[in-house]
Amino acid sequence: MADGCLWKGIDSAVYQALLTRKYLTRKIMPMLAMVAVMLSVATILVTWSVMGGFLKTLIESGRTLVGDVSVVWPNVGFGYYDELIEDLEADPMVAAATPSIETFGLIQLPDDRIELVSIKGVEPGSYSDVTGFADTLWWKPIEEPTPKDRKREDLRLDDQNRALMEQVFANGLAMQRESPDSGEVEPAGVLGVEVTGLNYRTKWGGYEPWSANRARPDGGVDRVDSFMPRDGSVGLTVLSLDSEGRPIDPKRLTMPIANEFQSGIYEVDQRTILVPLGVLQRNLRMDAAQRVELVKDDENPFAVEVDPNTGEIRPKMKEIVGEDPARVTAVLIKAADGVTPEKLQERVREIYAVFAARHKGEVPSAFDMERQVKTWKDLNRTMISAVEKETGLVLFIFGIVSFTTVFLVLAIFWSMASEKTKDIGILRALGASTGGIAWLWIRYGAAIGLVGAALGTAVGYLIVRDINAIHDWIGETTGLVIWDPQQYYFIEIPSDVDPSKALIVFVVGVLTCVLGALLPAWHSARMDPVKALRFE
Amino acid sequence: MSTATSAQVETETRASDSSLILSVRDVRKTYKLGRVKVPVLHGVDLDVRRGEWVTILGASGSGKSTLLHLMGGLDRPDKVEGRRGSLVFEGDELTKQSKRALDRYRADDIGFVFQFYHLLPELSVLQNVCVGSMILHGRLGYMRHRAETQKRAGELLERFGLGHRLKHRPAELSGGERQRVAIARALINGPSLLLADEPTGNLDLKTGASILDAMIEYRERAGLTMVMVTHDERIAERADRVIRLEDGRVVEEPPRAG
Repeated sequence: MADGCLWKGIDSAVYQALLTRKYLTRKIMPMLAMVAVMLSVATILVTWSVMGGFLKTLIESGRTLVGDVSVVWPNVGFGYYDELIEDLEADPMVAAATPSIETFGLIQLPDDRIELVSIKGVEPGSYSDVTGFADTLWWKPIEEPTPKDRKREDLRLDDQNRALMEQVFANGLAMQRESPDSGEVEPAGVLGVEVTGLNYRTKWGGYEPWSANRARPDGGVDRVDSFMPRDGSVGLTVLSLDSEGRPIDPKRLTMPIANEFQSGIYEVDQRTILVPLGVLQRNLRMDAAQRVELVKDDENPFAVEVDPNTGEIRPKMKEIVGEDPARVTAVLIKAADGVTPEKLQERVREIYAVFAARHKGEVPSAFDMERQVKTWKDLNRTMISAVEKETGLVLFIFGIVSFTTVFLVLAIFWSMASEKTKDIGILRALGASTGGIAWLWIRYGAAIGLVGAALGTAVGYLIVRDINAIHDWIGETTGLVIWDPQQYYFIEIPSDVDPSKALIVFVVGVLTCVLGALLPAWHSARMDPVKALRFE
Repeated sequence: MSTATSAQVETETRASDSSLILSVRDVRKTYKLGRVKVPVLHGVDLDVRRGEWVTILGASGSGKSTLLHLMGGLDRPDKVEGRRGSLVFEGDELTKQSKRALDRYRADDIGFVFQFYHLLPELSVLQNVCVGSMILHGRLGYMRHRAETQKRAGELLERFGLGHRLKHRPAELSGGERQRVAIARALINGPSLLLADEPTGNLDLKTGASILDAMIEYRERAGLTMVMVTHDERIAERADRVIRLEDGRVVEEPPRAG
């Protein structure tokens, strides 16, 4: 009896490959297992891609109006920001920077409703350089309809509206508008497209201006027709601040509307108005101001002095002792090409430290500002985290559901292994080892997993690639509209097939199948060959 | 001299007897049917000489197949009072071999032929015959031996009258043809010992006779040792030696004249 090299354990042998191929092609059961793996893989890939696409779109939208990095000192703000912007723009890592004020106030809408809004003061030119502001302006001439607007109903496409659209687009960029009464050009604000409620969101995901009703005390209503960028205006009430950032008194101003924007984040578009920086600075008392010496309590209130300009005697004035610079609550910065927000954040901190040292005691120190230099991700952290967690949760749930595939494969393999009990006995009688038998089933599971996962990945990819076309077809055929642009803020179902995600799903699909095959493999390997041969 | 020592000496003696290919001593086997123990072999002693054809006769349930499985290393004898009995194949004690060594023994030294053919239904005739060689040689080894194996398989099948059926599946063959394929499969690795468990038991007389003729012809030509289990006295008459299993023990029949 030859007892030499007895390595015929779990080594790969031709009979395993041959039987794997034969079992794969001759039985309906492996086809069922393959379909189970395919569906599981495709489901996970579609879910992950849609949620990933949703997250990506949301994040990119959240980045639109804030730049890459912001230096934020809320409420009271900080001065000498022009100098800081000059320092920043001198650095090669910075493409552009712009000042901004962010505060809250009340808005009085054309139908007299009053809402709380976020008011942002920006410099139109430099704000466009730093952010995607120009792209977010909604009212502008467009050449191609939006994806769902198959009947070309969007009034921005209409040639009759072209001149008006060009005008309001230019107005929006410059944040100014000609007064319909005086004909003078005056500063104007840009509203979030959902703020007024006067834009009807269509079923194809666009907007049409519509009328609103203003309630009267006598129970009647007045009809308010308004296309805001043409002649609409809103009332804004803000709280002006002293140099310490404490509220002094409310200021009310009427703000003509130059255009409306859509950033892609509903909460932003529903609660935000952009106004020219100078207007907001004046009303918040954050513009440059003279610093005067106050009259002391014990000073003679009837004291007089000589006016240096006229030489006449006049009541004694307060003494001007200096000037407070204009202030902003943030400086938004755009990174140069190839510079990540994180790298820029570090560089901005360094630049700010030099700036703060130059204005020691006049601006927040570098230490205080350390945590106030934020990337756009930091600013949107709450929103991003929420969507990431939702994505994780959905994937977890689908993962659990798909994990049942393991048991499905296990059940199918167990049944197949039982059906093939006699084959196992025959192979053992011919000298096949227990490891060899186990490996036969494991590689069989791997083969089914490979084919099923490859098909699932392909099917998932095709579904994701054409998900909107498929969705439209289902809608037209069955009337079932899952993703309604009137309700969902993105016109189309966002999707993003990431090759690394596809690879992970594919590998997990194969492993699922191998996992399902392990127990039947172990069971087959432990089978008594004599009993297996007698199996009927 | 103690019992253990005498057994050891006897084993060594048998091992040194070059005329013996297989020697069985005091082999016992009991099966469990639920909680009931069913003793099958009560201490079987049997020697098989090289080139010999031994036929085992016995009533149904007498343990013939069990003995064949033990000889082929498919099963292990019971250990009774610390002793497992002895199965010596060409000088090697099978009861002390590892599982892998027994796998190798079955692949290399033994050819099994079963009553119900036990062919793999998904494989063709040629693949069924070659599968034993695939198991024996492993992937790389089989690649080296492939042409040689297929040539040998073709020759064996040709000899058994199946040269035109190489690509057929077992389901497309008659019972006699299937058994011929099973015999070719058992012989593909050139075993020293052929263990046949009622090879004609599932065939009609004529087909059974032709199968037996083919086996005898091959055995005589190749000098193959053969142990065959059968019910059929007519087959037993053609064997070199007949033993009968009664009450789990071997009762040897007197040598036949001529």
